[in-house]
Amino acid sequence: MKQSVIQFSDVRLSYGPSSNPVEVLKGVSFSLNSNEIISIVGPSGSGKTSIIMLAAGLEKATSGIININNQNITELGENALSAIRRKNIGIVFQSFYLIPNLSALENVLLSLEADQKYNGDEEAINLLTEFGLGHRIHHLPSELSGGEQQRVAIARALINKPSVILADEPTGNLDEATSENMTKLLFAYTRAQQTALVLVTHNNELARQCDRIIELKDGNIA
Amino acid sequence: MLNLQQWAYIHRYAIRDIRRSYKKLWVIALTLFISLLLLSLTFSVKQSLNDEIEANSKELLGGDIQIDSGIDPLSGDRIKQLSNLGQISETVNFFTMLSKPSGGAVFTDLRAVDGVYPLYGEAKTMPSDAWAAFRLEGELPVVLINENIQNQLQLSVGDELTIMSKIFVVGGVIVSVPDLTNSAAFGEFAIISKQAFDQFELTSAGSFLHYDYRLKTPQSSDYQSKIEDAQTLFANDENVRTKLPKDSAQSLGRLIDNFSNFLNLVAVSAMIIAGIGISNTLLSFINQRNTSIAIKKSLGFSSKTIQLIYFYEILIILLASSILAYLLGVLSPVLVSQLIPASFGLSLQPSFSLLGYANIAFIGLLVVLIFSIPSLYSIPFIKAASLFRNIFQPVSLHFSAKNIVYLLFLVTILVSYFVLQTQQQLLTLSYFLAFFASMLVFYGVAKCLIIILRHAPNLPNNAYKIASRNITSKKSLAPIITISLGIGLTLLLTLSFVSDNLKKEISGSIPDMAPDIFFVGVNKDEKEPLESFLSSLDAEAVTEFNPMVSASLVALNSVPFETLVSRDNRSRWLIQGDRRISWLDHPPKDNPIVEGQWWQDDSAEQMLVSLDSKNAKDLGIKIGDEITLSILGREVNGIVKNFRQVDYRTIGTNFAIMINSAFAQKLPYEYIGTFKSERSSDEVQSLVVAQFPTISAIRIDRILSKVSQMMNKIFIAVSAISLVVIVIGMIVIVSAVMVQTNQRKYNNLIYKILGVDFSTILKATTLEFVLIYLTLIIFSVGAASLASYIIIERIFIVGLQWSFDLGLTLMLTVSTGVVTFLFILLANRNMFSPAAYPLIRNE
Ligand SMILES: Nc1ncnc2c1ncn2[C@@H]1O[C@H](COP(=O)(O)OP(=O)(O)OP(=O)(O)O)[C@@H](O)[C@H]1O
Ligand SMILES: [Mg+2]
Repeated sequence: MKQSVIQFSDVRLSYGPSSNPVEVLKGVSFSLNSNEIISIVGPSGSGKTSIIMLAAGLEKATSGIININNQNITELGENALSAIRRKNIGIVFQSFYLIPNLSALENVLLSLEADQKYNGDEEAINLLTEFGLGHRIHHLPSELSGGEQQRVAIARALINKPSVILADEPTGNLDEATSENMTKLLFAYTRAQQTALVLVTHNNELARQCDRIIELKDGNIA
Repeated sequence: MLNLQQWAYIHRYAIRDIRRSYKKLWVIALTLFISLLLLSLTFSVKQSLNDEIEANSKELLGGDIQIDSGIDPLSGDRIKQLSNLGQISETVNFFTMLSKPSGGAVFTDLRAVDGVYPLYGEAKTMPSDAWAAFRLEGELPVVLINENIQNQLQLSVGDELTIMSKIFVVGGVIVSVPDLTNSAAFGEFAIISKQAFDQFELTSAGSFLHYDYRLKTPQSSDYQSKIEDAQTLFANDENVRTKLPKDSAQSLGRLIDNFSNFLNLVAVSAMIIAGIGISNTLLSFINQRNTSIAIKKSLGFSSKTIQLIYFYEILIILLASSILAYLLGVLSPVLVSQLIPASFGLSLQPSFSLLGYANIAFIGLLVVLIFSIPSLYSIPFIKAASLFRNIFQPVSLHFSAKNIVYLLFLVTILVSYFVLQTQQQLLTLSYFLAFFASMLVFYGVAKCLIIILRHAPNLPNNAYKIASRNITSKKSLAPIITISLGIGLTLLLTLSFVSDNLKKEISGSIPDMAPDIFFVGVNKDEKEPLESFLSSLDAEAVTEFNPMVSASLVALNSVPFETLVSRDNRSRWLIQGDRRISWLDHPPKDNPIVEGQWWQDDSAEQMLVSLDSKNAKDLGIKIGDEITLSILGREVNGIVKNFRQVDYRTIGTNFAIMINSAFAQKLPYEYIGTFKSERSSDEVQSLVVAQFPTISAIRIDRILSKVSQMMNKIFIAVSAISLVVIVIGMIVIVSAVMVQTNQRKYNNLIYKILGVDFSTILKATTLEFVLIYLTLIIFSVGAASLASYIIIERIFIVGLQWSFDLGLTLMLTVSTGVVTFLFILLANRNMFSPAAYPLIRNE
């Protein structure tokens, strides 16, 4: 039986005053199974990033239910959400976001350390080496190229073996060749680790390689 | 709760972070170090002084018990009873003139000692064998003098000196005596032998003789009971007071406490201002790292863990700076020991104690907690969600209801910790209240300026526009400049105003009004001859003679004053020891009666009392109260009839206590006189002493110059110490400026692109500071004037007059301003030539 990792049921999200709200999501429902790779596509401003933020527990839904590993997170407090994030979710950003005064290795280890795992050096070095960064592990982010930085970021998201990786246009800041490489890496490792992946992208080519495509239009799934 | 592994992680992370970003944290380290160093110096010196006094309490008292029998010696019976308990030493102290046959005289505290003095410790002299030689009976009796007398009379060993018409020979200079007295340390002090004293054949009546006996009992098992025996021997004798070593240690301890309390308050002020810097630095540190914090949150770190890591970093900095500050502080007594005059006979030893360190660290921890909480609690407001939108809002200090409760609690602990450690509790508490109030005031001052500038008409001047925009902007430097500099500057100004006013009174107003010379110890039959001798010296001179007798205040409505009057009562001096009281048939001319009536029905049977109204108010005495005086060892009750307003600075009859003359006629009395003329007081003094050897002539100019010298020294020290607060304030400002340089760089670049030139930007920066500093000065000078006015006119008992010195004010404020501004420019040096390229890279 397939387990659902993320489940949105009639999720609504609006910003601004309740008298004159900006409705971003107008009742979104979908579910994501473990080891499934989906892409979210849609025009700019359609609410793609909003869905990722909701799934990561970094934004509160206005109404509806969001389950992560069958646990409803809509009512959880800050600390419980932190715990869910470090156990179940890995995030990859468009702008990489590595911590500037930590080396590549230290950035990857941070993920483990958040979850109180303090002996992951070997594991992290192996992963970085597999990502082709064996000669870069002690370098600071400022000494790495964009593609290298994003590979470190992906390693950081994967190292803790989360149930799902949320990637918001992870290749948006990279050239075509590098992005293709990056996507291959991401697909290969999520499949190998049995990790689900939500990939927000503008690239239709990329979207088609996913198991399923969710298309957003005006705050609804088309 | 965190487990051990998590703590270990926080520790490792914090250490690594400090190593990589110590440049941003130096302000916290430096300000903490300086203020903790001051605190540590104070504590160490106080501790070692107290240790020294504790260890030498018997030497300081001069025996195991001191029996003070006042103006009369103990009876032979009593002495015999005492000698059964141990060895006795008798000393007589009195004030008299020492004069050089060739001219020149000084009013001296003379001590006559017997053969066994001192029972504890040793008297040090120059040459060192002078003490032994002093005991030998030579042709002429020997006098040992202290350095002050030696300097004033230009004496050397072997010179002759006249005391009460008898010739003495100077045997040597006293370096120190174990039982420290005021005059031995600061004034004129001399020692003669008891045999030589007996030659004077003084009767105690009228003379200010003071007999002391000290007992040394063998250190045996019944030591304690012997001391108690000695105490019970005199328990019912109201003319005799006994004192134990711990009492003398206590009274010195109180003096030390007063001074160290002042230092403590300055140190804690410095610490609190350092705290403002900590808070500011920490907040900007957090803001600079908001991305890193957001990333950590996205990885599942809780705000609490992140807060702990930063707090832990500060704790490490605190630990390092407090250890360094403590070690330097502990060594300081060695240095201070060099500064204490040899006549004190004290030698301070550094004493290392874990408790002493804990004390410093605890205070540091409190301050760090108080000032890091509002900064650290901004961390929950940094949202990981901003990583998706690439927009970071700077966070600000956070004061939730819960935080405010925490802060109030911590501040209460800090204040109580200081208040409970001192005997001047009310004063300390008021200082803290005033301090916190001024922090609020100076914050308000900055806000005022901002509001005024917002509403001010816009001048068509670019420099002004930029300056005004900077001050009114959200990241305005105005509040931090006014708070961190305002308090230090106000403290410095207040102390300088007080010292300046006192100096002016001492060098100007008082000598103008006060007599040149006081005559004391004038017998009834010497009064007329002295008066005519004085008028023969200068017919124009103003002289005034008043009868007087010494008395002490014992009780008010049968309740002892000792139990009525608190330690910090400003009129407490009146109830301590003997005071001179006088009488007149009419109320004195320049002492107007402000309450009650002068006596009509003056009777020889009933004593009536007139008091200085200020003293009466302080001591809680009312018209009609019954007051007990001890006059020449006899207790007499009198009725308080009126209060006078006394100005002690004037020549004339100025006595705090006066009684009715009919009653006074029964008392054995002598005269006290004042003299003011155009002739040099040095000359007059010599002439009078030569003619009347038993009369003491005290020169006021000598006393005043001594007082002003002492005060100069004290105020230099005190101002130097308060400068520490200003320095800390400057460091805090510099760090605040440096934090802002990046943002300012960006603004300046935009101004440049808009065509504003360098000199306009420099002008704007100057104008910005001048505007803030001027506003600050207005309040600082105002507050300092008010505070010094209250101190001068209300707290000092003598009616001093406060005045404002523009020159001094300008000197202090301008120099502080210039130095601060130079530092600001230095901190800003990168700001004026911003390279365009980092900004294009959107850093
Ligand atoms: N704090 C906010 N207040 C009001 N509206 C907001 C806020 N945050 C986002 N929005 C709006 O929500 C909508 C959805 O934003 P979202 O970032 O999810 O879009 P997106 O699909 O990721 O777009 P893009 O492809 O450009 O990244 C946008 O129209 C945006 O203007
Ligand atoms: Mg988006």
